[in-house]
Amino acid sequence: MLNRRDFLKLVGVGGAGAAAGFALGELTKTPPAKLIPYLIPPEDVIPGIANWYASACMQCSAGCGILVRVMEGRAKKIEGNPLHPINKGGLCARGQAGLQLLYNPDRIKNPLKRNGKRGKGEFEEITWEEGLSILTNNLMELRSHGEADRLYLLTSLIRGHLNFLLADFMKAYGSPNYLQYDLFQYENLRFANKIIVGQYTIPHYDIANTNFLLSFGADFVTTWISPVNYNYGYGQMRQGEGRNVRGKLVQIEPRLSLTGANADEWVPVRPGTEGVLALGIAYIILEGGYYRGGDAKLWKDALKKYNPEAVASTTEVSEDRIKQLGKEFATTKPSLAIGGETVSSYENGVSNLVAINLLNHLSGNIGKTGGVIPNPDVIKKSFNPIATIAKDASRRKIKTLILHNANPVFTTPETLKLKDALKDIPFIASLSSLHDETTALADLILPSHTYFEDWGDDFAEPTVGYSVATIMQPAVSPLFNTKGAGDVFISLAKTLGGNLQKDITWEDFGVFLRDSWKKIYERHKGDIKEANFEDFWNDLLARGGWWDAVPKASKPVRVAASEVSAHLSSEPAKFEGNDKEYPFYLILYPHLSYKDGRGANLPWLQELPDPMTSVVWGTWIEMNSKAATGMGIKEGDMLLVESPFGKITAPVYFYPGQRPDTISIPLGQGHTSYGRYADGRGANPIELLPAKTDPKTGAIPLNSTRIKITRVNAPKSFVKMEGVAKELGRNIVQTITPEEFKKMGKEA
Amino acid sequence: MAGFIELMLERFKVYREPGYYKRFDYWWAMVIDLDRCTGCGACVTACQAENNTPVVGEEECGKGRNLSWIRIERYIEGEYPNVKVKFIPVLCPQCDRAPCEVACPVYATYHNQDGLNVQVYNRCVGTFTCATYCPYDVRRFNWFTYNKKNFLKGNGGSSTSFEPPLDQQLNPDVSVREMGVMEKCTFCIQRIRAAKDRAKDENRPIRDGEIQPACVQTCPTKALTFGDLNNPKSRIAQLAGLSTAGDLHYLRESGSKISDISSNPRTYRLLEDLNAAPTIFYLKRVMKNGSSTAGHE
Ligand code: SF4
Ligand code: SF4
Ligand code: SF4
Repeated sequence: MLNRRDFLKLVGVGGAGAAAGFALGELTKTPPAKLIPYLIPPEDVIPGIANWYASACMQCSAGCGILVRVMEGRAKKIEGNPLHPINKGGLCARGQAGLQLLYNPDRIKNPLKRNGKRGKGEFEEITWEEGLSILTNNLMELRSHGEADRLYLLTSLIRGHLNFLLADFMKAYGSPNYLQYDLFQYENLRFANKIIVGQYTIPHYDIANTNFLLSFGADFVTTWISPVNYNYGYGQMRQGEGRNVRGKLVQIEPRLSLTGANADEWVPVRPGTEGVLALGIAYIILEGGYYRGGDAKLWKDALKKYNPEAVASTTEVSEDRIKQLGKEFATTKPSLAIGGETVSSYENGVSNLVAINLLNHLSGNIGKTGGVIPNPDVIKKSFNPIATIAKDASRRKIKTLILHNANPVFTTPETLKLKDALKDIPFIASLSSLHDETTALADLILPSHTYFEDWGDDFAEPTVGYSVATIMQPAVSPLFNTKGAGDVFISLAKTLGGNLQKDITWEDFGVFLRDSWKKIYERHKGDIKEANFEDFWNDLLARGGWWDAVPKASKPVRVAASEVSAHLSSEPAKFEGNDKEYPFYLILYPHLSYKDGRGANLPWLQELPDPMTSVVWGTWIEMNSKAATGMGIKEGDMLLVESPFGKITAPVYFYPGQRPDTISIPLGQGHTSYGRYADGRGANPIELLPAKTDPKTGAIPLNSTRIKITRVNAPKSFVKMEGVAKELGRNIVQTITPEEFKKMGKEA
Repeated sequence: MAGFIELMLERFKVYREPGYYKRFDYWWAMVIDLDRCTGCGACVTACQAENNTPVVGEEECGKGRNLSWIRIERYIEGEYPNVKVKFIPVLCPQCDRAPCEVACPVYATYHNQDGLNVQVYNRCVGTFTCATYCPYDVRRFNWFTYNKKNFLKGNGGSSTSFEPPLDQQLNPDVSVREMGVMEKCTFCIQRIRAAKDRAKDENRPIRDGEIQPACVQTCPTKALTFGDLNNPKSRIAQLAGLSTAGDLHYLRESGSKISDISSNPRTYRLLEDLNAAPTIFYLKRVMKNGSSTAGHE
């Protein structure tokens, strides 16, 4: 652990990101525990002088640490916290754009009560007193009818003490129905890891130290799991100091993602056959005698049908290439195989991920530097897929639904009928900073703080081999008449009385958080340098969190061929719709700027050109120009895209990094109720999907249908920023070959 | 034509006597490692957040009037499945022999003592000449006072670039520009000034790595490095393979090619033959010839 003096020393050294370093030094001058209330003790409000407060990024679930630059009580800039082990000072574009959430002109400024028909968006402003009493009365009534279990609480992925508070609240109230939802919860991956690594967590993929990275559709430089950490790893893998080999990246995916564009090789596999290809590679590892385990024979038997010939015909990857990949993966040490959103998003996502993980087991990459590093166990949440909510609501099991920052109406296919089902719920309250498609159905809206105005913390998952906690502190005082979700639940508990009052005794959420950390301090006293809790807490806030950089030794896991093979499937993933009528596979992917749609209301992100197509402010369809020949389609034409389940229209972009039999569409646009920057822009391709969820994990398979396209006459096309996509001999991006680069190393 | 060139040289002299830079402490420069950069675009948003560059909206973007000071160029060569994609961040490389400087009729753009190409907004009358002369297409023009223009017209909503309360985010260290003014990357000069003040207060030189422009700071892959080229021990001098002071002075005076003096065969300068002497040193991407899929064939 770092004590304050070490911390200042660390901050003081040049070279370690001193701009931010200074900032951190500056910050320790004003203990943030006493910070803010700009309106009360203004001693840290010196005109023209910036203070930096360490906090947590909440733009996705990666758990990056941030520093917020505050001048005269207003947040001016966000930077990555250079001390934070996940993001190491960096931030992605979404993280940078966070302030446009805080200052969004469409923020909800006061509590609102529905006045008019549900879903019509007609609300009237009310006071907090009134808002809280409406909710309290509703909850009292429910409880007095013995229907406490018919209260459902649905939130975004919350991992810190707010999660514990909400769980306590629901338990004391008497409802087991506390659910969390995100379109990308990586539940399939956890499930697959349980089978192969023996842990229901996401491990740390040590990209920085690997020499051969085999990525099956993991677009880790844009949105996948922990993009800033993986981008850092990527930079190190290529050109890290003190590395004598440049790590190689092979990307296996039907649509060339941004990560694929950076790869040394692209394998445009047939959609849905990635798992089979992984098993084909496993076959080569076993055949070549590269697997050292005593049970090689059992594995060979289990995998005998995945010979190169059979696999080549299924996957459309040549036999030679399968052999080559197998050999290279097994003989380059350390190597690492990862399976991303594309493969996880087929209907057989789990079995694909198991197959990919098996490669790590057979090559001995698990627990190795540059391989798969197990993470500390996390508390496993009872898992309820979003489909359950739709079902329970339509069966009228839900009487009251409280939402907090979750927007499932936008991210679930129409075919799941969630929106209709929600209409059957008698009372919906939403604790949200902004309007969204789900909040639009609420009867009561209680505007919540953004992550710049609230207390909180976050336990990142995955971390980097050891536990990482990030603290969120109110860097600025609330802009509007909002409250933190924690505070709302604490005050509800007080007025509801009974068990709730007994169990939830804190004044407010800030006090609860501090008390909880006091308990952590007491438990870990031995490992903590700070002599008393006050010092520990101040350091915690100054540094932005607590991380214990001693990786726990991992227990070896026994992986039995017989058990694992039960989870493998030799069949390619199924796509709905027959291939005569619907000639194209549909691949949907989370977009760099909007991810699942949450970023679409931030103008900076709307105006950030898409890295592959350079399109801004809209949706587009990616198609290979070869597939368009004979159809009379030109780039920019509006296409009607139809699946057996729905249709959308959007303009087409000709993209050579696309299999001719596949069409890809980014997620994120097509909002109807998400503020002025997002509404009425582009289309939401989720509407094309069938009503399917994975029975074991609840995941929604994004890549599960075929589509057809027709040109429609419509004037509106997209705006793209690119000029000429060719270098035309200007030698702009100069390159050297890997061979030349190797020679350089020898000379140096 | 001859008269024109003479005029240029004459103007050039006003800015530059040989060896002038030796009188000054710093020469700011950047190294961009293309083998690290993934094209993720974080630097683009970071620059926008730091430098009060307005959002112009879809319609203006369609006219090529996006105001970002840094962009990621993407090149795609080849056809499926042999596709090769390359990225390069492009921002003003603060050319040592900047064509824009000699072209401006009102001296709104000039070279400062730290090797920066500086734009004086108050002096700019919007002739657009500098942008025409800039070989890197990094100068951006304010066609409107974007903070007064509704850019959501036609989309049902209404918003200016810094629609309240978005304006509360504006960086007080950087001015907000109005219609008719040219702007471009400043190497985050406000951060350089702050570091200078700090160093002066503490009576010491600026430390290597102490200044991080917003784009450099956020880059998740650490593709960007900023520093003082006058200091041969600086990280950028090391990375660019320019590790003796002699190299650097030679570079400045002779107008030689970087490959003649750099000890790193990966170092190059963008469109070097144009002789604008840019002070961003790119490190070449390591990539197979031909296509990114040519691997096993
Ligand atoms: S990856 Fe980006 S959005 Fe996600 S936590 Fe990190 S900075 Fe924030
Ligand atoms: S932030 Fe870094 S990796 Fe991303 S595009 Fe910019 S320079 Fe490249
Ligand atoms: S150096 Fe500063 S002004 Fe220039 S591109 Fe980077 S962030 Fe923008």
